[in-house]
Amino acid sequence: MTNIYNYLRNHIPSRQIVIGVPYLWFLLLAAIPILIVLKISMSEMESTSVSSMISWTQGWPTIKFNFASYIFLSTDPLYFETYLSSIKYALITTVICLAIGYPFAYFMARSPKHLQPMLLMLIMLPFWTSFLLRIYAWKTLMVNNGVINNVLMSLGVIDDPIAMMNTPFSLLVGMVYSYLPFMILPLYANLSKLDIRFLEAAADLGTSPFRTFWLVTIPLSKAGIIAGSMLVFIPAIGEYVIPELLGGPDTLMIGRVLWDEFFSNNDWPMASAVAVVMILLILLPMAIFNKYQSDQAEAKS
Amino acid sequence: MSTTATTDSAKPSAIRKMAPQELLRVEGITKVYDGSVKAVDNISLTVATGEIFALLGGSGCGKSTLLRMLAGFEKPTNGKIFLAGKDITDLPAYKRPINMMFQSYALFPHLSVWENIAFGLRRDDMAKGDIAERVESMLSLVQLDKFAKRKPHQLSGGQQQRVALARSLAKRPKLLLLDEPLGALDKKLREKTQLELVNIIEEVGVTCVLVTHDQEEAMTMASRIAVMSEGSFMQVGSPDEVYEMPNSRQVADFIGNVNIFDGIIEEDESDHVTIRCEECLHYVGHGISGNVGMSVGVALRPEKITLSKEQPQSEYNWCAGEVVEIVYFGAHTTYHLKLDSGKVIKAQELNNTRDLSCGLTWGDRAYAHWNDMAMVVLTY
Repeated sequence: MTNIYNYLRNHIPSRQIVIGVPYLWFLLLAAIPILIVLKISMSEMESTSVSSMISWTQGWPTIKFNFASYIFLSTDPLYFETYLSSIKYALITTVICLAIGYPFAYFMARSPKHLQPMLLMLIMLPFWTSFLLRIYAWKTLMVNNGVINNVLMSLGVIDDPIAMMNTPFSLLVGMVYSYLPFMILPLYANLSKLDIRFLEAAADLGTSPFRTFWLVTIPLSKAGIIAGSMLVFIPAIGEYVIPELLGGPDTLMIGRVLWDEFFSNNDWPMASAVAVVMILLILLPMAIFNKYQSDQAEAKS
Repeated sequence: MSTTATTDSAKPSAIRKMAPQELLRVEGITKVYDGSVKAVDNISLTVATGEIFALLGGSGCGKSTLLRMLAGFEKPTNGKIFLAGKDITDLPAYKRPINMMFQSYALFPHLSVWENIAFGLRRDDMAKGDIAERVESMLSLVQLDKFAKRKPHQLSGGQQQRVALARSLAKRPKLLLLDEPLGALDKKLREKTQLELVNIIEEVGVTCVLVTHDQEEAMTMASRIAVMSEGSFMQVGSPDEVYEMPNSRQVADFIGNVNIFDGIIEEDESDHVTIRCEECLHYVGHGISGNVGMSVGVALRPEKITLSKEQPQSEYNWCAGEVVEIVYFGAHTTYHLKLDSGKVIKAQELNNTRDLSCGLTWGDRAYAHWNDMAMVVLTY
């Protein structure tokens, strides 16, 4: 028995299999689709096959790329503005989430140990309701004859309803509301591991609690801040549902444009080009994050 | 007295031999956790300027809680703390002129060695140049000039310990607290560092309160030791006082090895006392007295016992037994002797020649004897 066991142990590449499965998954469902999108973005039509893009001259294959979509992308200011405004709203969302989430996570990590699991569950509680439903709920809260305006008017605070819906305000409320848990969770994980002795050491050396926060707590939780910001910023750039439901004409976001290109204009190469540029936009912060993480790992070893 | 003081202050540069001046005074300090657990129970102590005072005790004896109250991390439930005559009981940690070297150092991992040492200085209104100068002098004090740019994790344990020391000394605190200063180092390095640490502390001339569970550390470093148990001081004294004149079985047992015999005072004369134990008759020649018939403990350190194969001629201060265990330490050997009563005592023989001197081996019948000054009589 042990012989068979040892044989299997030595001959089945179990570690490779365990690591390999997720990689295979990503290859099939992420890398290949992205390559397909890339291919479509450089063809004239969605149906252009790869073989027709390759022409043979003197026995050497030459791939003919069609950059028309990209050229159009860079000439029409609409796209540039949309990217910019996507980044803008994603950035504002991230900053607001950080401003709300950091103190939240901080006090959660400092609260009595027996309360923490419950506080953590409350953060995740919204996930039990459908995302779409929750965004719709905001809509009923913020429309002109919605709950907020009605309450304010009945209290006599305002005479006319405030126009909140379909403005940058309503968009940001929805975005911050939806992405806040993604900011809080990594920050909480990081801050709950923060060694209290560092804070004591700072106090011991004459640093007031307020300055200790800026000089010790914040730098030591940098990894959590970056992780949380990435988790908010990256999906926020490509967000489609929230701008569609809560946004307005002046809250252009790239997800919306992408949808229009695919389904209204049916211009797949163009839509693919928009998607490819968006992926590049997201890869940049990811690369920075990875660089930071590997630096950290290096520093620890 | 006041006239002397005026003459003295008229020539401030003169080096004066002063009576020890009180720096720290703790009055009846108590810390109660969760309403009932007394971590520190009504402790009072004074520490003189320049002293190295050790709080020694096992885990959970309250020594760390006491230290944390001095640092300002814990608020005493009762009692007062005075530093140089000023009540600092309610002063928050960051306003106390006290610095602490933390157990396992708590060096800021995101800052270089230089920045770690400068951290406390930047909080004061100190000129940039002065900060640099102070940091440099601290670095050379702990011989780490070459490591200024390194991060703490790039240093060895001993180097980290020195950075921690430099950081806690940089602000020139009135009082330095050391929490298990050498606990994270291995034995060989610890012995070397102990002396280094004391030398640096003496060079700077800072007053120290140190917490340790390691009696050797307390003995070698401190000028006075407080042995703690269950939140109270059991004995306070110089290292040799605590070792040679323990005031209770607990202290005798905690500091070093000890054999304790239970006996009854049989004779109380002006120059001696005899104590009858099951195993032997003790003749104590130093100045103690007690009532005849009083039951006492006789504490005898293993190194004060001499072993031989021949029965001593005296009627006092010896007992016989079988060698049941021999533990060789290199510099000395400890013999475990099983007495006829069944009690096992330890005797330590110095290996001052290269052949194992007294030639005893397992199963031998041996006689342990000691002189009439060797033992301590304990009433508790």
